[in-house]
Amino acid sequence: MTPTASLLLLLSLLLLGCSGPRPTPLPDFNGLLRQNASSRRDPALAQRWLASLTLRGGRERVDLVDLGSRQPVPLPGLNRADAQPISVSVSADGTRLAVVQQRDERTELVLYRRNVGTVQRLPLEPPGVPRAVSLNADGRRLAVQVSRGGRWEVDLIRLP
Amino acid sequence: MERAATGWIDRSQEDPALSGDGRLLAVISQIQGRPTVQLRGEDGSIRPVPQLRRHQPHSSPSLSWNGRYLALITQRGKRRLAVVLDRLNGRLHPLPLPGGRDPVRLSLAPDARRLALQVADQGQWRVELLDLSELLEPDRAAGQALTTPPLESSR
Repeated sequence: MTPTASLLLLLSLLLLGCSGPRPTPLPDFNGLLRQNASSRRDPALAQRWLASLTLRGGRERVDLVDLGSRQPVPLPGLNRADAQPISVSVSADGTRLAVVQQRDERTELVLYRRNVGTVQRLPLEPPGVPRAVSLNADGRRLAVQVSRGGRWEVDLIRLP
Repeated sequence: MERAATGWIDRSQEDPALSGDGRLLAVISQIQGRPTVQLRGEDGSIRPVPQLRRHQPHSSPSLSWNGRYLALITQRGKRRLAVVLDRLNGRLHPLPLPGGRDPVRLSLAPDARRLALQVADQGQWRVELLDLSELLEPDRAAGQALTTPPLESSR
C-alpha cells in the first residue's frame, strides 16, 4: 500500500469513528415493502405495524403490514372498490385504523376496527371536508385536518 | 364521541400528528407566511420548539409516545431533510438519506426505534424504514417494561 493510500484509509477510519451513531436502513423490510406494491405512500408507523397507501392493479388501497411476521394483514371490508383512500393512521396495537377516503363523490372520515371488520363513518361537526388523520397509540384519540370555509382546521375527537 | 371545545385551534392548521399518549399535537401553521411546526398541549397551550424556528417550510410532523421526539421534514438550501428533535435535551438529529434523495413524508414509531420515510424512486413512491435504535433512547409508554419483547416468538 502506498503512503498516500495508507493516509486516505487512516483518514476514512478516523472520520467513521467520529461520525457517531447513525440511522440504519433496514434492507430486509425495505425489499419486502418494494415487492408488495408498485407504489407506496403516506406511511403511518405504530410499533410493529406499518399502514400506508399502496398502488396495486391500478387501484390505490389501504395496506397494513405486520413488521413482526413480515406479512401483509388482510383488511376485510375496508378497501371497497368505490373508495379512494387519502390518508391513514393506525393504533399501536394495529386493531384500529382511521382513514380519510373519497366515496360516492364525497370525502369521509372512517374508523376501521380490524378485530371485528367494521367500518364506522365519523361525522364532522360542523360539517367539513377531511384531509389528513392521526390516531394516538391506543386509538382513542384522533386529530383530523378539515377544510371549512376555505381554511384548514384541526378537529380533536375522543373515541369510545 | 367527544370533541375538543370550540376555539381550541385559533389559526389555519395542517398535517396534524398526535403523540402516542394523545397529550401533544403537532401541526403545521402559517407563521409569518412560512409553514412552521407548532406543538400544543392538551389545554391548547403552545409548547415552544426554538430549535425549529428556521429551515422552513416544515412538513409531515410526527411525535413519539410521550412527545419527547418530534420528527419532521425541513428545508436545507435546495434539499429536503428529515430531522428528529429530542425535546429532552434540545438536540436536533439530521437524517440524511442515502443517495441524496429527498424525503416526502415521514412517520416515527411511538417508541422512536424506527422511522418510515416516503421517497421518490424511479417515478414511484416508496416507503423505507430506518432503524434509529443506535441514535435515540426509546420513548416508552408509562408502565411499559424496559425490555421490549422480540417481534417474533422464538423457541
